[in-house]
Amino acid sequence: MPSIPIIMPQLGESIAEATIISFLVQVGDEVAVDQDLIEVETNKATMNVTSPCRGKIARFSVELNESYPVGAVLGNVEATPEDAARAGFDTAVLARQPGGASSGANGQSATPERKTVQPTIRGLPVPAHAAGASFMSPRLKARMAELGLHAADLAGIAGSGAGGRVTIQDFEHFIASIEKHKQSPASSMRIAVADAMRRSWTRPIATVGLPMCLDALFAHRRASNPKAGPALYALRALAMALAENSAPAGRLIGKKIVHPSSIDLGFAVEAEDGVFVPVIRQADQKSLKDLLPRYNELIELCHQRKLPVEAAGGSIGIVTNYGTFGLMWATPIPLPEQTLVLGVGAARKAPAWDEAKGQFVPVMEANFTLSFDHRFLDGGAAGRLLTRIAALLNRPEVL
Amino acid sequence: MPPMVPNVAGQTTDSRPSSLRDPFTKAFRWMLLARTLDDKLASLYRAGKIHGGVFLGRGHEALAAAVGLALRPGDVYAPLIRDLAGRLAFGEPVLDVVRTFMGSALGPMRGRDGNVHRGRPRESLLPMISHLGAMISVVNGVLFARRMRNLSGFVGTTTIGDGGTSTGAFHEALNQAAVEKLPLVLIVANNLYAYSTPTARQFVCRDLADKAIGYGVASHELDGTDLAACLEVVGRAVSRARDGHGPQMVVARLLRLCGHGEHDDASYVDPRLRQSPVGQDCLKLAEQSLLDCGWAEVRQIESWREEAAQEIEAAVAQVQREPTPDPFAEDWRALSSRHLADVYPEP
Amino acid sequence: MSITYLEAIREAQARALADDPRVFIYGQDVGAFGGAFKATKNLMKEYPGRVLDATLSEDAMVGLAVGAAIEGMRPIVEMQFADFSTVGLNQIVNQAATLFWRTQVPCPIVVRLPSGGTSGGGPFHSQSLESVYAYWPGLVVLTPATVEDAYSMLLEAIALDDPVIFCEHKLLYYHLKAERLPTEALPIGKARIARQGRDLTIVAYSAMVHEALAAAEELAPEGSQIEVVDLRSVRPLDTDTVVASVARTGRLLCVGEAWPWGGVTAEVIARVASEGFGLFDAPPQRLNAKDTPIPFHPHLWAAHRPTARSIAAAARKLLRQ
Repeated sequence: MPSIPIIMPQLGESIAEATIISFLVQVGDEVAVDQDLIEVETNKATMNVTSPCRGKIARFSVELNESYPVGAVLGNVEATPEDAARAGFDTAVLARQPGGASSGANGQSATPERKTVQPTIRGLPVPAHAAGASFMSPRLKARMAELGLHAADLAGIAGSGAGGRVTIQDFEHFIASIEKHKQSPASSMRIAVADAMRRSWTRPIATVGLPMCLDALFAHRRASNPKAGPALYALRALAMALAENSAPAGRLIGKKIVHPSSIDLGFAVEAEDGVFVPVIRQADQKSLKDLLPRYNELIELCHQRKLPVEAAGGSIGIVTNYGTFGLMWATPIPLPEQTLVLGVGAARKAPAWDEAKGQFVPVMEANFTLSFDHRFLDGGAAGRLLTRIAALLNRPEVL
Repeated sequence: MPPMVPNVAGQTTDSRPSSLRDPFTKAFRWMLLARTLDDKLASLYRAGKIHGGVFLGRGHEALAAAVGLALRPGDVYAPLIRDLAGRLAFGEPVLDVVRTFMGSALGPMRGRDGNVHRGRPRESLLPMISHLGAMISVVNGVLFARRMRNLSGFVGTTTIGDGGTSTGAFHEALNQAAVEKLPLVLIVANNLYAYSTPTARQFVCRDLADKAIGYGVASHELDGTDLAACLEVVGRAVSRARDGHGPQMVVARLLRLCGHGEHDDASYVDPRLRQSPVGQDCLKLAEQSLLDCGWAEVRQIESWREEAAQEIEAAVAQVQREPTPDPFAEDWRALSSRHLADVYPEP
Repeated sequence: MSITYLEAIREAQARALADDPRVFIYGQDVGAFGGAFKATKNLMKEYPGRVLDATLSEDAMVGLAVGAAIEGMRPIVEMQFADFSTVGLNQIVNQAATLFWRTQVPCPIVVRLPSGGTSGGGPFHSQSLESVYAYWPGLVVLTPATVEDAYSMLLEAIALDDPVIFCEHKLLYYHLKAERLPTEALPIGKARIARQGRDLTIVAYSAMVHEALAAAEELAPEGSQIEVVDLRSVRPLDTDTVVASVARTGRLLCVGEAWPWGGVTAEVIARVASEGFGLFDAPPQRLNAKDTPIPFHPHLWAAHRPTARSIAAAARKLLRQ
């Protein structure tokens, strides 16, 4: 037998609910269509809820003196399919729904949820100014996006706008003036390195340096076969120093320090138009001798420009041997996702003071520089790391 | 009420002229249809099948039916809230009524307006806007334009309530009709309450009919519960207007026999008014007159009642199966000149 | 021969009365008197029974026009001042503007509003209400700035099947002259580049177009080329032309004689900001009348509304940003 719900009707344009005042019939009573069943009160008037169709009152689901919203189910009338159809109810739809069909009104729960107003903005609004050298107007940003330029590319423009900002006219003059010069396309490697350096430079980078005596290292190397280069000695020493204390290779993200999980170290290999950085995983777990084959393999892959993706990225620090260019001193820039980079300068004969002999003696010496993200590392910690590396390099047999 | 003349057997009969039989009977049938339809709308409302408000014309049927019957093709009618009997007599189909209330996309307003705000302007049935008094000058405009086109023999009529006579729009429009000498028949249905406000708080002149003097137009006073009186007075006013005697103001006195809308229980109505002559139900009185005058029998009236109920049931059953307006099929354009529609892109 | 803005309006009405028997003019004092501003001078004599004096009832005037429009006529309602149209607001926005949408029966009425400030006009004879009417869907709102547009846009308005609010500027009535009436014109809905430029776009309408042009003249010797866009119609608004102009110049100044809150200048900026955000090289600005009723005294009035001087100052500031 179809069960037709008795719905709280819309009792006035702004009325949302009504209170049950009295029941005019009882459960089990036979009722006619449109017969008054329940008396309800709004704040405007008292009126009656009528029967949606002929049948028998199956149940009332509401209480006296309680309020219910418009559209709430107040009870049910059990009717024959014929009576239900005559009253316009689709019995197929009725059968599908739990409370019975909600004819015209929507099936709402009996108690409305009281929502509280959630503010959508927290904190102070940011005032918008056009003044200030760093302000880039929407038009400027759109043009820069179109040309693939970054703020770093605009360093060469003296802005004529308020506060020295670069206006769109300044920008277009600049672009036009560049057109007059000879241009050639930048390789994708160049663009990638440019982007990495730009991002890295957004941090304050500082460098500390130490001249290291490499006599022991060169003696060890002369006695070894096959021979490892100074960069691998430095990488292994860095790995061992970090294995003892990996804190300097952590990263500062917001207010959290992210600790390194594995001593994976990269090393710079110069390619045609940029730098490859292959990575030796868990460099603290293998000795210098055992690292050498992999090291050479990686270099060969770089030269063939076939370095696979798994062999690059994910390192916690890198070593760069700028000494191969004959440079005494350099301040390398750490990769944007790393805190430090260890640079190795060219080795040369230099005088070192020998206290025992009371005179300068010739030694092989090279500058080791450590550039680091100064938000995270201070000079002291950087210095201690370098000193430890120096000590390890003085006893190359432990590497 | 005309005097009751006892016949030989001691029964009373209504001594109305037999020429009245035909219009009286016609009017009664429109009243019956209107009342049955109003009752149906009320129960649909309570069943939650109608969106928005429901406003009925219980108590107004005699007046409204008389207006609808007095109008001819070529006349213009701007009915107000409680004129269902007049609309039906003027030719508005029951389907238009049911479709508009129940929100069928096939109704004359296509869901863009609802309940009593319905009409067909091209067929001289003007759909009202909510602002009371505003339709009077629009009817003036139709009459004005027809005269400019050298048409003649037409009238225009609209209804206003006791409350509506307080508006500036009423004043301005009636004055305009008088100055332009338009064939306007203004039906003032004084049903003693504007929503909950009694007429003592609406005007203090003796009777609304006295306002006509101020505008320089003719007035006719009328007992709105008496169908025969309605037919006679409204008919005369319409004839006067049609014959070029300028605007005619008909003031009918009756009682609203329902709430202002179906959301209102009218508990503020003075119960003494309900007991008094003005509180009588014009439909019941008319039915009694039919019987007393021997113009219809009980069984005949019952069959008319049945016919009305069936016509309405069939309309409701049909409309319930009709589609409601589809917002995605709407072009959401308020101008008829397509090329001038402002385009507001969706964010 | 020269013709004033007012005479162009009269000529347009005369032509409409001559060409279309459905047209008639209804308003206070429009008949023998020829209208408060003589916009209908002699028309009653030339077209008897078509130019009629109405009772002093803006509500009833517009209501009557709507009824006549339903009957197939094309009435022109002359309001004596835009400021008084608010008495008939209900009939305009609830009767005329909704008729087509509710019933599919169009409402071809034109309501002419003598708008804008003149010296000594005071609070109730100076208002610019184009943005008030533009707010309601279903209305076309026009703001001609030139003699030619006053003529051609009024003719087009009368021919349109929709209710048109025709905002004529009183200051332009007698002060603006042209050599001759146009034989062709931009259609309603298209804005006009009144002056080409490259450094900044001023969007204006009605009398402010002339102030903006004077400001542009003032700035030209300083090396700034100002582009002036005359909206011509406020509803519909020609967003495309405005956006294209800002694409050229990157800077936008909107000028209106009306009050600041909401309004045409706010609407233009909102549209350009959402459709052409990447075109701005500086924040868009607007210049409106002061946020008070319109003062009577000429000294106060001169400072109340934008002028060529204040427009030039605002433009300079925007150019320097």
